[in-house]
Amino acid sequence: MNCPLETRENAALLVAHAARELGPDIAVRLDRHIAGCPACSEFMRRQQAVWDALDVWQPEPISPDFNRRLYARIEELEGQASWWQRLTGPRGPMPVRRAMPIAATAVVLLAAGLLMDRSRVPAAGPEQAQIEMLQPEQVEHALDDMETIRQFDRVMRSDSPDSKM
Amino acid sequence: MGGAAVALDYDAELMLRVKDGDGASFAVLLEKHRSSVIHFVYRMVRNQAIAEELAQEVFLRVYRSRSSYEPTAKFTTWLFRIATHLALNSLRDGKNQRYEERLDDQVEDLPVRQVADHRPSVEQSMVFEARLDEVRRAVASLPDKQRAAVLMHKYEELEYSQIARVLNCSESAVKSLLFRAYETLRARLAYMA
Repeated sequence: MNCPLETRENAALLVAHAARELGPDIAVRLDRHIAGCPACSEFMRRQQAVWDALDVWQPEPISPDFNRRLYARIEELEGQASWWQRLTGPRGPMPVRRAMPIAATAVVLLAAGLLMDRSRVPAAGPEQAQIEMLQPEQVEHALDDMETIRQFDRVMRSDSPDSKM
Repeated sequence: MGGAAVALDYDAELMLRVKDGDGASFAVLLEKHRSSVIHFVYRMVRNQAIAEELAQEVFLRVYRSRSSYEPTAKFTTWLFRIATHLALNSLRDGKNQRYEERLDDQVEDLPVRQVADHRPSVEQSMVFEARLDEVRRAVASLPDKQRAAVLMHKYEELEYSQIARVLNCSESAVKSLLFRAYETLRARLAYMA
């Protein structure tokens, strides 16, 4: 067997060997080589030291409320999505799901209609602007005039020959 | 790692049940993989609070993706892909810099760990803490991708093919990453033998 340290690719075999990842056949062959190769022997000793040193780093304990917090977030997520999903999702009520394309079409048509109607309305002219600018007294006068006309109209009707019949 | 393959099928099966609306299967997956995800992310970002936050995000993403889940890879590969992505993003954004547990504080602040069943002497505890501190520093000194590869290889026992899929590279690239990472670690930690 050639010395694995001759190429990086093969040297990776020694790393795998230290991690006990190799099959029994190749492991036995490597062990045989390592026993007679000082360079590989030293490499393995150092790699094993690293492997053992890494075992020292044990994880921190997990917060006891980790699951509770996660499920609260999931519940929140479900709550946000549910109202729309319940209506439109595959499990939503059938009439609503069927009505969705019709409603969408209606909204589009309504929007188009409003736009077309708006484009037909002429821009506000100076007369309209004057009406908007009428003072309250002017309105009062106008109403008084209308009332006078109405009373005159009533008098005229009562005087006409038809009304006497 | 033949057992992992069997576990994979079971995990994927559980995830498919989650897809069908079975919440209990999600609870089983969470219970099974919670520790490994949190520990992996913790060793990546070196802050327990942020690690737990990121791990919550991992499981939240798993849950959110349930409807589109397809078992094209091992469940753990998918899980660690999400975890690695979030951890690397967090490191890149520097979100944990403000909160990163200062390595200098570790020796003084952490409770004394026991090295054996019997109570360790003060000297043993100090030696142990010094070793732990050196290991943490050595791993922290690795580039992000090398660190992720070492953590998945050493602590989570993922196969090279899985690590390759998680890191989106070839298996030979993973071997090369690991070789370089262990080379650095040998230079720093081999004296501990």
